[in-house]
Amino acid sequence: MESRVVNKGQISELLDKLAKDYNLIAPIKEETMTLFRRVSGAQDVLLDYNNSDISPKGCFLPQNEKTFSYMYTGDTLEINKPEGVQKTVLFGARPCDIKAILTFDPVFEGVKFGDEYYSNKRKSTVIIGLSCSKVLSTCFCYAMGGGPCDGTGSDLLLTEIGDKYYVEVNTEKGKALVDAYSQIFSSQGAEQLAKDKEELAKKLSGEFVRKVDLTGVKEVLDGNFELPYWDGDNAKKCIGCGTCTYVCPTCHCFDIFDYPTGDFTGDRLRCWDSCMFPEYTLEAGGHNPRPTRKERIRNRFMHKIKYHLDRYNMVGCVGCGRCVNKCPVNIDITKIINDLKEVAQNV
Amino acid sequence: MMDVIQQLREQAKKLLEEKKVDLVIGFGQGTELARTTPVFIDSPEGVSKLTWGPFCANNLAKYLTDYKNAPGNIAVVVKGCDSRSINRLLDDNQISRDKVVIIGVPCSGQLEWQKVSAEIKPGASLKEVVDNGDSVSVKTDAGDYKFDKKDYLLHRCLVCENPNPVVSDLTIGKEQPVKNYEDRFAEVQALEQMSTEEKNAYWDKQFSRCLRCYACRNVCSVCTCQTCVFDQMLPMWVSKRTNLSENTAFHLTRAFHVAGRCVDCGECDRVCPMDIPLRKLNQKIHKDLGDLFESPTPGTKPGLVSPLGEFSPGDPEEFM
Ligand code: SF4
Ligand code: SF4
Ligand code: SF4
Ligand code: SF4
Ligand code: SF4
Repeated sequence: MESRVVNKGQISELLDKLAKDYNLIAPIKEETMTLFRRVSGAQDVLLDYNNSDISPKGCFLPQNEKTFSYMYTGDTLEINKPEGVQKTVLFGARPCDIKAILTFDPVFEGVKFGDEYYSNKRKSTVIIGLSCSKVLSTCFCYAMGGGPCDGTGSDLLLTEIGDKYYVEVNTEKGKALVDAYSQIFSSQGAEQLAKDKEELAKKLSGEFVRKVDLTGVKEVLDGNFELPYWDGDNAKKCIGCGTCTYVCPTCHCFDIFDYPTGDFTGDRLRCWDSCMFPEYTLEAGGHNPRPTRKERIRNRFMHKIKYHLDRYNMVGCVGCGRCVNKCPVNIDITKIINDLKEVAQNV
Repeated sequence: MMDVIQQLREQAKKLLEEKKVDLVIGFGQGTELARTTPVFIDSPEGVSKLTWGPFCANNLAKYLTDYKNAPGNIAVVVKGCDSRSINRLLDDNQISRDKVVIIGVPCSGQLEWQKVSAEIKPGASLKEVVDNGDSVSVKTDAGDYKFDKKDYLLHRCLVCENPNPVVSDLTIGKEQPVKNYEDRFAEVQALEQMSTEEKNAYWDKQFSRCLRCYACRNVCSVCTCQTCVFDQMLPMWVSKRTNLSENTAFHLTRAFHVAGRCVDCGECDRVCPMDIPLRKLNQKIHKDLGDLFESPTPGTKPGLVSPLGEFSPGDPEEFM
């Protein structure tokens, strides 16, 4: 694996260039929020931030996406697909959020079904990750196979060390990018920075305060769909909002519907949906297989710690802590995991 | 604060033991030091879960409608602002008075947990919380911290109208002094000063951010419709698409649907994951209802008529 060095003084130059050559998506501040948005240059980009309020998953699965528009004229039906996707750089994504994109891949680029809307964007996007410099009290990526300086899934990973960024080149795509801007990415001093990065990773890995351990949890869920645990306080206190799912970098459910703009014209859209909404599984005949919050809560957490593992051998939570932070009633996946471990003792 | 917690547990225990209620809804320690979570206690042994302090922001009256058809009685712990919800639910015939035991706790303000949490060493465990009047001391095994209320209180608490519950069956804790806030509507007044274009720009920016997660609607104790228009698929009044036009339709509908019933508990504002200042919308309506109809904050007294919910043949409006 190759590595490079960027002087902090040159990061603005890099961002300006990227914004010119690519559709550049980067973290910005909007009032109190840290969000990923398209930027026109370095001036708006936030380099020093704790994890963003909303993950950058929208780069690949936008909250609203037009899949095609239709027009029926009486004898012909015209279908128009949106124009091709732009070359994009996703800059500044945190390791947990990049890992989350890896959990999307088998869903949208599966063996049986491929989703061109997703894979076109995935193919034309270069992911430049940014290691964390701080661990929040809600973070637990370490327990989900990640880490604050883990570059898995990124094309390039930047780690801030003193007045430099240490750059790990993880893919061919990443290599092509550093070669294209070779006046900014130098090789000088990379060896020392590699050591410094190891040190930083070690230091940060000692800062996690949430004790989370998945061992044995899936096994108890495998044989026990109807655990009385799911009738407990979580089902009672959940208010059934979409907050946890919309802020979650690995939640990927969507709804498809037509949005008519005239009698026989309109758009077919796909928009984020949430398994916590009552109408999510409501069937045309009126039956709802997940009629109450108990079934919905169970589904969300089973998806994270069982179903995604069953299907793709990947845990469906990356430990970003967003749902922990934002749930209005403090439903906490780390507590659920710990509770289930306790339950496991007694089944 | 310890004695309030003690008394809460004793009273809850008594209610459950004497079978006066089947369930007590209160606050329990959350998964962060400065956070609580709703707890649902159905046996006398469970009461040790109950806690109280300056991290009890949730309005638990919200849960009462979940139990309106349950056989037994329910006790619920409420602060001053939450107690207004109870009056409102009673006036809307959403709950029956004899099914609910209201445990009122006078409140000296609730702190924003995220702000407090950011100051405290991660992983510290809580030893004691002391209310000093203007500040709160949080004692932990990693040191003691002090938080000035003016910097850490939730916005709604800075202009609290009813620190003491307006309706309750038993009250636990000392009565809190009631203050008169001249500047109660300061934030709204600042918005009113803006030109129409500026106001549009301000709200467009806020509404564009909305994810339409509906936490603001779902947390609201007076949003009690069985099926909300925003969940209806046929006809689809508002689609799942988020854009300025549909988000604005949602926000204005929500604000007007609770106009005259919103008790200003501030929960919608607190839970919004996108920090959209929903309370400013509600407050504008409160201010106008006050100015135009001399209408008090809904829920402050039982049996208040909602100015927008009343029909009178003698209404001077010509179009009526
Ligand atoms: S379940 Fe929660 S902690 Fe896990 S990835 Fe989703 S938002 Fe992050
Ligand atoms: S969960 Fe890990 S990778 Fe994500 S923000 Fe926290 S420390 Fe960084
Ligand atoms: S954010 Fe919390 S309250 Fe809302 S649906 Fe998720 S678990 Fe339930
Ligand atoms: S809680 Fe906030 S983001 Fe969610 S629907 Fe309400 S205003 Fe929109
Ligand atoms: S609209 Fe907001 S402030 Fe008003 S009662 Fe509902 S949650 Fe409380």
